[in-house]
Amino acid sequence: MTGAPRVAMGNRAAVEWELRQPYNAKIVALVLLVALGLGISAQRVEGQRFLALTWEWGQNLVGLQDTSQIGQGLARMGESLFPPQLGERTEISRLENFDPDRLPWFSRVERQESREVRVNRQSLRTETHAEVKEFLVQPLGYLWRVAVKMVETLEIALWGTILAVAVSIPLAIGGARNYTPSAGVYAAARGLVSFLRAIPEMISALFLVLAYGFGPIAGILALGLHAAGFLGKFYAEDVENADRGPQEALQAIGAGKLKVLWFGVLPQVFPQYIAYTLYILDRNVRMAIVIGIVGAGGIGQELKGRYDMFNYGHVSTILLALFVTVFLLDQVSARIRARLI
Amino acid sequence: MIHQQFNLSPRLSVAKNVLAGSLPAVSTLRALLHLFPARLRRKACDLVARVGLEAEHLHRRASDLSGGQQQRVGIARAFILDPAVVLADEPVASLDPNISRDILALRRQASKERGATVLCSLHQVDLAREFAERVVGVHSGEIVYDGPASDLDDATLTLIYHQTKPGSPVPTTGAVEAGGRR
Repeated sequence: MTGAPRVAMGNRAAVEWELRQPYNAKIVALVLLVALGLGISAQRVEGQRFLALTWEWGQNLVGLQDTSQIGQGLARMGESLFPPQLGERTEISRLENFDPDRLPWFSRVERQESREVRVNRQSLRTETHAEVKEFLVQPLGYLWRVAVKMVETLEIALWGTILAVAVSIPLAIGGARNYTPSAGVYAAARGLVSFLRAIPEMISALFLVLAYGFGPIAGILALGLHAAGFLGKFYAEDVENADRGPQEALQAIGAGKLKVLWFGVLPQVFPQYIAYTLYILDRNVRMAIVIGIVGAGGIGQELKGRYDMFNYGHVSTILLALFVTVFLLDQVSARIRARLI
Repeated sequence: MIHQQFNLSPRLSVAKNVLAGSLPAVSTLRALLHLFPARLRRKACDLVARVGLEAEHLHRRASDLSGGQQQRVGIARAFILDPAVVLADEPVASLDPNISRDILALRRQASKERGATVLCSLHQVDLAREFAERVVGVHSGEIVYDGPASDLDDATLTLIYHQTKPGSPVPTTGAVEAGGRR
């Protein structure tokens, strides 16, 4: 050690600095208050019942209790969902344009004879009537129907995403502080983006179904508008945060705003844009299923119908199809992302 | 304009970066579709070859190039529209001495071929002596020397770099070089 620091220390009077404790009584009181609030809230959302039922179920699982409400509920659900309904069996007399010589693929006709005992009104005797009903049996008919509906859901999600990208690009340019044409346009674009984002798809789908009727149009609009709010915000923020260097270089030689945006900004933000857009596509597929429940087309609409008719076998086929689809979608979008970025 | 930090669009190819220098001369529609006229595409290839890059570099991303190579692209971009004046803001500040010499030589050659005036700020006195015709020395925002590069002697340099006034911590220096039109 040289002498210099010692001299400095020697010369320095005791300083007024101090190191306080990391928290004080006020913060402790605040934490306790928050805990109390959470406790009250937990009561309001049936926290006690949740714990009691779960405890009962746990005891039931290890054999300490004979019955449990949760166990019964799950068992009932399992029984009704199994087995999944794959085939379809339709009475031929109900089919329009049925041509027995040109059956659909993998299908066959089954005859079923039913005997009915009726009283003849003239003779007042009982007679046995033999009635033959014909059924068209398609062993994988329902699975096929679900697949068709699933494709419709994917199409709704795809068009919703395309609509969202198309709407959000002008909103993003208008809503990026450094590229907006004017302050008014900026405020309007940001306001519209927040507004679109604030309305959940379910809610707008409810109203759009009233406007456009049941089916995919309402679904596409609901998904597209909500996602446009999301993309408009994120696209704009990326434009604002892009590295200034390339932009300055192009501005310096006199390139217009749009050209600078295209050559100085877009190449930089492109990977992020791809990531956002793929996320939206992914999310739209899941949301397209959900908004089908309010009648906006696709597999969700089918699910809701079957659930309301207590066709749990059909419901379970739909659920399996959903799992498979979402899983495959994850795989595909991960690959696209890896390739494009 | 040639920049200290090159300021290329990192994810665009070398060719696109050079062509971006011609954006003011291209219609907006063509620019948005990335459809540059044949004359400019031809010229971009010539310039890329002129600054010492190869055909294989044309379609590489600018960010995949070394600093020296990126500045070569920057020079090609600056000259694609045959400007009368080129501003260079410390074009070699982040490059090693050998590459600096190459880059400045390229810059001088390009400006002579096209008859462009180059205004270039530099910290390296030896480079200013070698490449400039007229040197302007600036100290704390005041011009302390303005004359031909050959007259830039040690006394003048002392004036530029060591005329430390009390209170100014580091002498701000800039050797301004101009390659005159001929």
